[in-house]
Amino acid sequence: MKKRESRAFVVVGKSEAKVDGRGLVTGRPMFVADVDVSDALVIKMLWSPYAHARIASIDTADAERMPGVACVLTHKNTPATRHTTAGQGFPEPSPYDARMFDTKVRFVGDRVAAVAAETEEVAERALAAIRVEYEELPAVLSIDEARRPGAPIVHDESDATGIYDPSKNVVADVDIDVGDVAVGFGESDLIVETTCETQYAQHTPIETHVVLASLDADDRLVLRTSTQVPFHVRRIVAQTLGIPVHRIRVVKPRIGGGFGVKQEVLLEDVAGWVTLQTRRPALFTLSRREEFTSSRTRHPMRVRVKVGVKKTGLVHAIEMEAVSNTGAYGAHGLTVLANTGSKTLPLYNKAENAHFFGQAVYTNLPVGGAYRGYGATQGYFALETAMDEAAERLGLDPIEFRLRNAIRTGEGSPIFAKLGEGREGVSQTVKSCELERCLEVGAERIGWTSARSKKERRGSWVHGVGMSIMMQGSGIPEIDMGAATIKMNEDGSFNLLVGATDLGTGSDTILAQIAAEVLGVPLAKILVTSSDTDVTPFDVGAYASSTTYVSGMAVQRAAEKVREQILGVAAPMLGVSTERLALRSESVIGEAGASVSLSRVCQRAMYETDQFQIAATASCVPSESPPPFLANFARVAVDTDTGVIKVLHYVAVVDCGVAINPRLAEGQVEGAIVNGIGYALSEEMQFSSRGRVRNPTLFDYKIPGALDIPRIDVVLVDSYEPTGPMGAKSVGEIGINGPIPTIANAIYDAVGVRLRQTPFTPERVLEALQRV
Amino acid sequence: MAVHQIRSVVRPATLEEAWECRRSEPGASRFLAGGIDLVLYVPPTVSTLIDLSCLGIDAVRQEGSDVVMGAMATLTEVLESPLVGEFAGGFLRDVLRRVASPLQRNVATLGGAVVRAHPWSDVIPALLVLDAQLDVFDGRRSTVELSEVRARSESPSPLVLTVRLPGASCDGRGAFEKFARTGFDVGVLNCACFAIIERGLCRTARVAVGGTPSVARRLPRVEETLVGKPLSASQIALAAQTAAGVVDVRDDRRATAEYRRVLTAVGVRRCLENLAGLGSEVKE
Amino acid sequence: MRIHLTVNGTGRTWEVAPGDTLLDVLRREGFAGVKKGCGTGDCGACTVLLNGRAVNACLVLAVKAEGHTVVTIEGVAQGGRLHPVQEAFLEAGAVQCGYCTPGMVLSAVSLLSHNPDPSEAEICEAISGNLCRCTGYVKQIAAIERAAARMRESQ
Repeated sequence: MKKRESRAFVVVGKSEAKVDGRGLVTGRPMFVADVDVSDALVIKMLWSPYAHARIASIDTADAERMPGVACVLTHKNTPATRHTTAGQGFPEPSPYDARMFDTKVRFVGDRVAAVAAETEEVAERALAAIRVEYEELPAVLSIDEARRPGAPIVHDESDATGIYDPSKNVVADVDIDVGDVAVGFGESDLIVETTCETQYAQHTPIETHVVLASLDADDRLVLRTSTQVPFHVRRIVAQTLGIPVHRIRVVKPRIGGGFGVKQEVLLEDVAGWVTLQTRRPALFTLSRREEFTSSRTRHPMRVRVKVGVKKTGLVHAIEMEAVSNTGAYGAHGLTVLANTGSKTLPLYNKAENAHFFGQAVYTNLPVGGAYRGYGATQGYFALETAMDEAAERLGLDPIEFRLRNAIRTGEGSPIFAKLGEGREGVSQTVKSCELERCLEVGAERIGWTSARSKKERRGSWVHGVGMSIMMQGSGIPEIDMGAATIKMNEDGSFNLLVGATDLGTGSDTILAQIAAEVLGVPLAKILVTSSDTDVTPFDVGAYASSTTYVSGMAVQRAAEKVREQILGVAAPMLGVSTERLALRSESVIGEAGASVSLSRVCQRAMYETDQFQIAATASCVPSESPPPFLANFARVAVDTDTGVIKVLHYVAVVDCGVAINPRLAEGQVEGAIVNGIGYALSEEMQFSSRGRVRNPTLFDYKIPGALDIPRIDVVLVDSYEPTGPMGAKSVGEIGINGPIPTIANAIYDAVGVRLRQTPFTPERVLEALQRV
Repeated sequence: MAVHQIRSVVRPATLEEAWECRRSEPGASRFLAGGIDLVLYVPPTVSTLIDLSCLGIDAVRQEGSDVVMGAMATLTEVLESPLVGEFAGGFLRDVLRRVASPLQRNVATLGGAVVRAHPWSDVIPALLVLDAQLDVFDGRRSTVELSEVRARSESPSPLVLTVRLPGASCDGRGAFEKFARTGFDVGVLNCACFAIIERGLCRTARVAVGGTPSVARRLPRVEETLVGKPLSASQIALAAQTAAGVVDVRDDRRATAEYRRVLTAVGVRRCLENLAGLGSEVKE
Repeated sequence: MRIHLTVNGTGRTWEVAPGDTLLDVLRREGFAGVKKGCGTGDCGACTVLLNGRAVNACLVLAVKAEGHTVVTIEGVAQGGRLHPVQEAFLEAGAVQCGYCTPGMVLSAVSLLSHNPDPSEAEICEAISGNLCRCTGYVKQIAAIERAAARMRESQ
């Protein structure tokens, strides 16, 4: 019945064009640096050349004397508050281990000093004039080095808080149990164990980090910034600079992609401080090189999965151990680690025994952060490799094996309650799961039965098909919050004010669609203003696949409140009680065809009788996080001469509940898949023996271009999530988890080689082929 | 980003003027063609650029049996030229379509590609196997071998006016293999082969391998195994094996020497198979 | 140095430094639709048309535009009417964050002006220097196909 309702939508479920699309295709000045910045100071940063060193002395006198230099910032003249750069709910689960400028540098690319000058050229000359004496310290450049007894300590400062065990370089430690895995493995008929490692990877939004700081007429600090988390930016900048929240306004215009790397406060503190000190606008932009060396990365991980399976084909016990390299600071260290287990293990809920444990460790390498998939991506590589291997050894088709073991509608997993966002989670029962249908559709699209295990050879190329399944979440239950305000105008249009942060995903559009649906108006009558801390209600921002589910529900509730007010005004106009009224086609419809237009209703409320502003605000703090589900299939060709992998066809079948805007939902999955293919095949930050990034350019850090994409089919299956706005769940992150295990399993199908280290570069593949 | 150290750009109207500008300030001046490489890196001493765009050296034309390509022709202009499309079965056109992206091919000039000769250059191996020559000017005009101008060390090196594809190569066929990490990338190795086949035997055979990671060089010992022989499977295998043995490869961040050696054999073999009509690379 | 050029149909005379790139100058002069993503020709966000050909504005010295015509994204729509490529990008859902969009649109406009009926492979080649991290290119390729078909119909 619920599903039938979903087909009755008027605006929801339609692939409306993006509300901001016209401005974007015509190149209107919509991004941070598109306003006039000619009077702004230019900020440039001096970055550490060492992986680990103390700053013995720093002399900025020559730089400060240079004409055109407005100020030079170092640890000597800036606030020393320890904080986290991670833009998370308060109190943050990440340790307070960062300072604006510290007396110690912890990776090549760490902050040393900043210059604000009239031009970039002057700023760069001033940077060159800063004299720094470093006392170089021994560095730890890998997980193993960091964990070695007696290893150099990355965070030996006394004022950091929230670090699990700084003396052992351990940022975070997670250990949860369900049942008893030791017993479970003993009772199992088959044990499969695999260890998979993932690499350092960078988000590479095409717009790098950028912020423009200025003072308004009341001398308040205005930060126009490329961020996913405007409200967290306001809070963290206030905390870092020691100024009240009400003296800061954060505005997020359009932003050029985020993928998690802009869930971080990386530039705003410095730009804000420069503007407060100089009373001048200040522009701080990361170069592409700096984006690689000094922003954030995906946490590299080593994940070991051990699976115990009964002869019946049921998974009886699963153990996952994850060790995460969080780099020099602990931003998202705990939560990414926890998600590696919490977003993966509930998928196989038939296992009565489960154990997840692991640590996030500091190293003197670039800093891990939030990156689409958020730990689940790393976890699924090992988990879905192990499941593929288990199915093979049982002689079961991997699809059949997944069907026997995967979670279904009406079921829960004890993991949901045991493991949450770096703390205990929230118990939940899955209310919508169309995985079976996803598998069925996907298998058909890829031609599973005809292609599987054929090892078809054409010249040096061998073909194979592989698959994997996964889930993610929809927001962080009992933590995330979104709010929306809607007010009505006398022409029957509405202003929708949301703190939700459209980072290119189209959330402004889908939130407007939800409002339009409730209010019975076309999309054009919803005017969206998003992400301005002075104007819009609070929202945690765009992360954790939360916006559609959490902010969307807030919008739906606000719209329902406004609808009630409208009906209340219209009832006396139509002479019937509100229960007998409906909102549709920009009118309130009464009985026997009587109706009154929305504009008349609002005119009455504004100008005529019992005047008031029709408006409402509503919030949503979800009590659960319904997982979207995804079945992935890939057909690949392996060149046995060179080790080159070509993905020929990729099929992703998704259960995201009702897709509020199917085309935008498809776009989320397509983009995530291609990003995931890059992560699987070509993207890798390389380091010198002294911790310097060797390939900090798009010339040598290879992300996929249009020539690299396979045929991609994204299918959204019919589904309805009863707790979601209009039946919706999330779709933003899940797709990126698929390519690594799916391609790895397809390679195995083709050539019988299991790859356990990403990326699957030709050289690595060839080496693996030569080993068999 | 702006190249702040550049203080002047001059635009001479004659070869003599251009040469005089360059010769009088060898350290402080550079010729400006498409300009891509100069935007990305200018030696610290350089402050004057000599723009070659008014010298009338941008046409592609036939000269006798030769095809003569102006140094200031963009790679796009070269690859779209019907003369180039008809030369050696369109080999050079096909190679140029694998160079960078159209955005760069619309700016980069043939002369710039020849003079800069990046280690990963795809243009150089293609021109080497076509036996291309350069018409140059250093106060007087002369014609030199492509390999010769690159071997010279005098400063400044002469101004390249045109790249000449000798008519003798027109009836041959070329094949090119590039191994790259993505479709828009420089190769971790590239390989070009060219042959003129008469009565089933190679009258001429040229093989060049580049991105080793050094810029492409011909491999005469491989060529010797082919001349006078048919492009049979066993000859191809011998040539590929010889190439892997003689190629000078090194590690860099893109690939190891060992892997480059493997690619050399595969690349030479595939190119020769392609020339023999035995095309092996089938993907779908 | 002074340069004379035509930008989006209007003659301009600008004072530029000899080492300025076309990207520096266009953004300084208010053409904010020209984006900077890398400054090294690796991403294509700064794509403009120079004499009808798509180029990386970050790799072209401004002085090289002397006497030439430049089209930026601001000059693609005519009199408030979107170009068929822009329309198709909107309709096909080819825009996500929109930062690569100006460059992508201009590469497509350049392609279609030289090749009205491109194959999918030719479309991919034409936009191969324009990186997009949001869309996975699927809908961008579809949009260019759609625009090509529409432009052929209206011929």
